[in-house]
Amino acid sequence: MMAAPAPPPLPTIRARLARALLILALLWSVAAAAAVWLVVRHKVDDLLDHALRESAEILYGMLSLPAAATVLEQQPGSALPAPPHQESLVWQVVSARQRVLLHSHGAPATPWVDRPQPGLSDVGGAGPHWRLYGLALPGPEQRMLYVAQPDWERHEARLEATVLSALAALLVGLTGAVWVRRRIKRELRPLAELSRAVAHYDPLDRSTSLPEAQRAELRPMQQAITALGDRVAQRMASERAFSAHAAHALRTPLAGIDAQLAMALRECPEALQPRLVRVRGAAQRLQQVVVALLALFRSGAEPQRRRLKLDALVQRLPVAGLAVHCTGQPEVHADPDLLAAALANLLDNAARHGATEVVIQAETGDGLQRLQVHDNGPGLAPELHPALVQELDSGRYQRPLGLGLMLADLVARAHGGRVRLPAPPALPAGAPRTGGCTVVLTLAAPAADEADEAADPA
Amino acid sequence: MRLLLIEDDPLLGEGLRDFLRSEAHVVDWFTALAPLAGLQGEPYDAWLLDWNLPDGSGLAWLAGQRARGDSTPAIVLTARDRLGDRIDGLDSGADDYLVKPFAPEELAARVRVLARRLAGSAAGLRQVGDVTVDLVARSASVAGVRAELTAREWSLLEALVLRAGRIVAKADLDALATGFDGEASSNALEVHVSNLRRKLGRDLIETVRGLGYRVPK
Repeated sequence: MMAAPAPPPLPTIRARLARALLILALLWSVAAAAAVWLVVRHKVDDLLDHALRESAEILYGMLSLPAAATVLEQQPGSALPAPPHQESLVWQVVSARQRVLLHSHGAPATPWVDRPQPGLSDVGGAGPHWRLYGLALPGPEQRMLYVAQPDWERHEARLEATVLSALAALLVGLTGAVWVRRRIKRELRPLAELSRAVAHYDPLDRSTSLPEAQRAELRPMQQAITALGDRVAQRMASERAFSAHAAHALRTPLAGIDAQLAMALRECPEALQPRLVRVRGAAQRLQQVVVALLALFRSGAEPQRRRLKLDALVQRLPVAGLAVHCTGQPEVHADPDLLAAALANLLDNAARHGATEVVIQAETGDGLQRLQVHDNGPGLAPELHPALVQELDSGRYQRPLGLGLMLADLVARAHGGRVRLPAPPALPAGAPRTGGCTVVLTLAAPAADEADEAADPA
Repeated sequence: MRLLLIEDDPLLGEGLRDFLRSEAHVVDWFTALAPLAGLQGEPYDAWLLDWNLPDGSGLAWLAGQRARGDSTPAIVLTARDRLGDRIDGLDSGADDYLVKPFAPEELAARVRVLARRLAGSAAGLRQVGDVTVDLVARSASVAGVRAELTAREWSLLEALVLRAGRIVAKADLDALATGFDGEASSNALEVHVSNLRRKLGRDLIETVRGLGYRVPK
């Protein structure tokens, strides 16, 4: 058979779903991170503000002790000693005249605000930004306690919560994607099995019948294909039966006609012989057409290829009044009955259209055997050529195509090839056609193991 | 050669019978299997039989004959052209298989192949003393000089040469040379044998008293 171009690879349902799932998992993690950013940010702010307030209240208690008053009065502006560490919460005690009396070691030595500011507020200008909580200390001195947290630390806490949530969402998404992917693979398995069974399904071979569908969605398809296969098998069985009956009903009388004509030729007066020779030639062409049609329309039959000597095959063809020469390679690999019928009809066409000489050139190349049948008749009418080519290409074989070219094309296709009609040269209007007609019959070249067979004598 | 042709189609049967007779064979033509029951032991050089006959399968009949030990060469003529059919035909005991439609010339050529095979010589030549019998050209010569034989004389000679070394009973020889159209005269056979001896020499055909004739191997 002629090597068909490989079809382009198609994406699989599984791969497409897997890719969609992966994209979905990534989008899900981004969406989850955004949601966390929006929702958790307020909660984190609340928690941190609460911590500020609580810290201020603890310090308030401690600074209200009598011992604390001594410290505040004796060493105004000093920092409370502490071990080296990164301070997250810092504080100041500010006098009524806006002087820092005492502060934690990480807090600035100047007041955060220039007038008493109780409660929560955000401060900052060119320097670092702070979240501040102010609380008035008891007593007539009107001192203020401020507890603050750097803004960057609050931002870091919010970011950390968001990133961790996004990572968790991504992990959940990817785990889900992997699980769903495995699930899809399992769910698609019955479809894959049915698809494999359909690929090997031969309606005539019981051992390849389709398995029962495993899913409700697949059952109508399985039933439809099985019903179609049954109809095809029934049709082919009846065609085979018809073909066998037709073969018997047609082959035997054809053999009888030939035997009677052969005998009549031996017995008849000499004057009658040319007439009987012509009748016998026509009967033999009819034989070839009938034999080829029976073979071509017998369902499921492959051509019975053999190595043939082309000139011996051509010599046997009943073509009167036509000199046929074979050139090129001497052998072809084909079904003798089918090739004989195809060539006999092409030669008959040539003779009908006024040719007296035909050259059949055989050559092999690019996996094809090419038989170029060229006659010395007037050639194809150029206006007919497109319609003939269209009918050959479509395989409809409607007019203006005749039986000869149709049969030749059917034979060529049965051998994995085609019939081609090279375009006739364009001629000026009214100029007589010359140059003959060329028909090219291509047949698939034999596989290496077939090519070694012994040649058929004819 | 004496040929038994079994073909139910009258057009083909008659055409083949006449064509093979024109090739100087003796042909008995039947259109069914039933009449063959009365032919047991009838000598033939070859059977030409159709597969599908109105009263049964020609192939089954052939298989039955082979089971009885009859090895008369057989060519199956049939419309069945599938590879499996050809194999079945040959496996049932056919020596050759010809798919219809065929040219009668091809059947005649295949019959000549059987004759060459029976003669045990690829060229179809048998040498008995200085007599050469050419089964393909259907001629005989003595020391290189061609002898002119009538059709009946040739049929007798061919039947004996194809069975060289064996005694052929007079009745069988008569049947082989004339089929069922045998001559009424009881001494016609002796006359033809006598003519053959005169044309080809006395030593070619031996008379085995009370049994028949023999050509030495």
